[in-house]
Amino acid sequence: MLELRELVKHYEVGEGEPVRAVDGVSLSVQSGELVALYGPSGSGKTTLLMLIAALLRPDRGEITLEGRKISSLSERDGARYRLQELGFVRQTLNLIPGVSALDNAALKLLGADVTPRQAHRRVIPLLEQLGLGERLRHRPEQLSMGERQRVMIARALSTEPKLVLADEPTGSLDSRRGREVLELLTSICRERQVAVVLVTHDPQAARYADRVHALHDGCLVPYESARARVSADLL
Amino acid sequence: MNRAMTRLRNILLLYRVRLRARMVQELFAIVGIAIGVALLFSSQIASNSLGDSVSELIGGVVGKMQLQLVARSPQGFEQRLLGEVQRLPGVGAAMPVLEQRATVAGPRGQAAITLFSTGTRYAHLGGPLMRRFTAAQIEHQHAFALPLPLVRSIGLGSLQSTELQIGSRRQQAFVGAVLLEDEVGGLIDSPAGIAPLPYAQQLGGMQGRLTSILVQPVRGHEREVLAGLRRLARGRLDVQSTSYEGALFNQAAGPAKQSALLFSAISALVGFLFAIAAILFTTPQRRGLVEDLRLDGYPRRMIVEVLLFDALVLGVVASLLGLLLGDLLSLALFRASPGYLSFAFSLDSQRVVTVASAVLAAAGGLFASIVGVLVPLRKDILSPLLLQSGRRFSPRRRDHPPEVAGVLCLVTTTVILLRAPGEAILGVVSLVLGLLLLLPATIRLVVLVFEGLTRSRGSAASHLATVELKSDASRARSLAIAATGAIAVFGSVAIQGAHANLQRGLDASTHAVNSFAGMWVSPSGPGNLLATTPFPDRFKGALARMPGVRSVQIYRGGLLDFGRRRVWVLAPASSVARPVPASEIVSGVDVLANARLRAGGWIAISQAIAREHHLRVGQEFLLPSPRPTRLRIAALITNIGWPPGAFIVNAGDYAHAWGSTDVSAYGLTLKPGVPTWRIPAELRRALGPKSALVAETAAQRERRGHLTSRQGLARLTQISSLVLSAAVLAMAAAMGAMIWQRRRRLADMKVDGFGRGILWRSLLIESALLLGGGCLSGALFGLYGQLLLTRALTLVTGFPVAHTIGALTAIGNLGLVTAVALVILAVPGYLAACVRPAIMLQD
Repeated sequence: MLELRELVKHYEVGEGEPVRAVDGVSLSVQSGELVALYGPSGSGKTTLLMLIAALLRPDRGEITLEGRKISSLSERDGARYRLQELGFVRQTLNLIPGVSALDNAALKLLGADVTPRQAHRRVIPLLEQLGLGERLRHRPEQLSMGERQRVMIARALSTEPKLVLADEPTGSLDSRRGREVLELLTSICRERQVAVVLVTHDPQAARYADRVHALHDGCLVPYESARARVSADLL
Repeated sequence: MNRAMTRLRNILLLYRVRLRARMVQELFAIVGIAIGVALLFSSQIASNSLGDSVSELIGGVVGKMQLQLVARSPQGFEQRLLGEVQRLPGVGAAMPVLEQRATVAGPRGQAAITLFSTGTRYAHLGGPLMRRFTAAQIEHQHAFALPLPLVRSIGLGSLQSTELQIGSRRQQAFVGAVLLEDEVGGLIDSPAGIAPLPYAQQLGGMQGRLTSILVQPVRGHEREVLAGLRRLARGRLDVQSTSYEGALFNQAAGPAKQSALLFSAISALVGFLFAIAAILFTTPQRRGLVEDLRLDGYPRRMIVEVLLFDALVLGVVASLLGLLLGDLLSLALFRASPGYLSFAFSLDSQRVVTVASAVLAAAGGLFASIVGVLVPLRKDILSPLLLQSGRRFSPRRRDHPPEVAGVLCLVTTTVILLRAPGEAILGVVSLVLGLLLLLPATIRLVVLVFEGLTRSRGSAASHLATVELKSDASRARSLAIAATGAIAVFGSVAIQGAHANLQRGLDASTHAVNSFAGMWVSPSGPGNLLATTPFPDRFKGALARMPGVRSVQIYRGGLLDFGRRRVWVLAPASSVARPVPASEIVSGVDVLANARLRAGGWIAISQAIAREHHLRVGQEFLLPSPRPTRLRIAALITNIGWPPGAFIVNAGDYAHAWGSTDVSAYGLTLKPGVPTWRIPAELRRALGPKSALVAETAAQRERRGHLTSRQGLARLTQISSLVLSAAVLAMAAAMGAMIWQRRRRLADMKVDGFGRGILWRSLLIESALLLGGGCLSGALFGLYGQLLLTRALTLVTGFPVAHTIGALTAIGNLGLVTAVALVILAVPGYLAACVRPAIMLQD
């Protein structure tokens, strides 16, 4: 479903060597599959996500989603793609303060020209599935961090995307809440046959993936060797 | 001591370090507070200048003299009375004064002046203006002196001959000296001239006459001297303190000062809200600081000290900038315009800046800074630290104290409107409070209505705007912005509406009064619009013989000091059909009152004066004229546009009461078909070139009247426009900054696929709802304010006021403020909507 072929993205920084943020990455992800990209800070994870989200254009290579070329979308088409076909779950919980969980979750649907009433109707089952049925009218400041992240997941899934990109979704949570959130995310995506690309440097998160790849200096490397290298570096 | 110094040094260091990171927000806050301080300061200068300049001029004449014996008419009294005053036991010094209203003409125009004169022997007793008589240039000459700015403004120079008009006499006079600032100090801007007494008496045809005698009693003999002066006055002259003129002026300028005070209050509020809105932009940074400091273990007291230091720096820098801006503003816009009051008082256009005004404005700036910095952070400082992250759901409290208080304020205003309209200022303050307290509910209502309207068929942008407005992330800032607009629109609608009603009423009065005659012949000059300059009745025959003239009527009029009021006395001929214009009658029967006035022995007096002295229609009234005369009250009238009030009697009664057959104008009735444009030339032919009498049609006089009343009210319009412009800029700037700060969230939404267009439109809709809601509240409350002010003007000051509700003004202001703010906002809104989504994901 999602195909990355020989993706390259380099940044020019000063007069030195260019930074090879993504350097010849090829990857395919199927519907309902969860692929984890593991890597330390600066390994190119976020750049790769930005490429997949059509927020950056690759220097070389190609991205396709169900055969449609993503890597050369215009700004307007890129926005439409993110709105209708992509869900984004981020580490920062950008909920609007003072607005109910229900309205926060329905926010993305409003951009798709769905009326508020219909949007509410569509996200309520999702929020219930995520265990927030009792907290629909609660405001973000009245929710725990885990609950806030679940609202973000509901928002990402509200437009029934084909692909979800999850950028460190457990980064702000403790391990128990992180586990809960990952379990919910994976089960719902599998049930809805949504492909998930999960970017993390949390080894625990990798356990929920069907496949785990590691990124090191912009290249995909076997997960175990990457872990070992990180551990050695830390020691 | 050392510990305190160390703490202060640490606070300063902390401030410097943080300043680098939030320079832009701090600068924005400084500009906001500065504009508030400037508005407050400039309106203070405007309201102080008028009153203080009168006091200064009076001081320049009377010096240390305490009492005065004053004539009740410009014809004055005999000079021999001076000797009698000097012989009174307890009199230390007595100084004769002749004060005449005159017009001086130069190559570049003419100016109305008050010509003060005294004997050179006495000049040292008076103030700085009179002491100038000791100058050798004019002591023994037939010459007068004028201040340098006035001489320049009419294109004259020293030692030049010029045309001087006093009453109906126009003659050549010699400018013997020019008064410089180092000689007369602050009086340099006064419209005053000085001349030796004999020369001034000769110029005005007042040989052997004075208008007042200033008296300095020997210490401890004040009462004795007062009694002696009253004996000499014999009820035909006034005995007053030398500060009496100032008191009279303060009464006359009362309505103007009240409106200036009201404007000052509204300006201060707008400025204060602007300042608060500006400071709120720096709140997120300070909130982060408070959190960090608390985590680091700082005690609350020290955190408050750190924040107070912030507020102090903000307040001091902004207040200094604001005082400078306010000074420039008052120079450029709010020059005191004496307008119609200059017909009865010697006013200059001097700008008086008092320390109190500066202190008040700066204190306002500091207060706004402290409130703006501390109040939004009170919970962050006071709440227990551990609970901050562990807060759980608690049902939202549903009590509504602000709304209840708002409704109470409205009730208070209504009570004031119905029961005590004189307390209009209090009513306006309570109305503004009500407006502010009800504003959050109004905005909620606007959002709810909008949400209801767009729920099923609105666009994505409108839904997004609704969600954003329901958020309380920026509620305080949004409300401050809406409140700024609300107050500005409130002020402009209320004042402009009352102003328009007043203007219409004044226009109607001017028309009625000038309709006494179709063609007027009276002394020329800008200071004689009310036709209060007397001249001998020597020209009636000549006028009657002019070709085209069917009949000539006499008109008498003057100003009479009564209690604390300088009253305008109108005395049309008994042949005038309606000596009391129907539009001006407040109480009394129109036909009967006019018949009585024509018959004589009756008077119409202003309602405000009647109320002060508990007088009613039909009662007897002792007119305190040079020859006190008993008359019956035929009607109660408005003040005919003259703030202290008016009397109307017939010309015959006036002549008797003033003991003089002098007239103030002639009314000509022309033969049918005679064009009015021929009359001025015929007049010159009939009276000769030396005559200062000029002919004007009623319409021409009316136009002059309209112009003067508009000039008198001009400052209201200026301040109103300024407050409105400042509010538009303030709202646009504050809203723009708020939108700019939201770029991260916009970037986040772009990551979710929202397009630039949707985001931009949603920002504009959000702004329109917020500004429109605020301004709509302001307009509605402004209409109520207009009602309150109009009622106060009618009942308390007795002005002729038309009663209309300026709905069009309200809609216009509401639309204008919202539209201009939105147009300005469109640019930062678009730029913010262009934010790169990638900033949300960058490592």
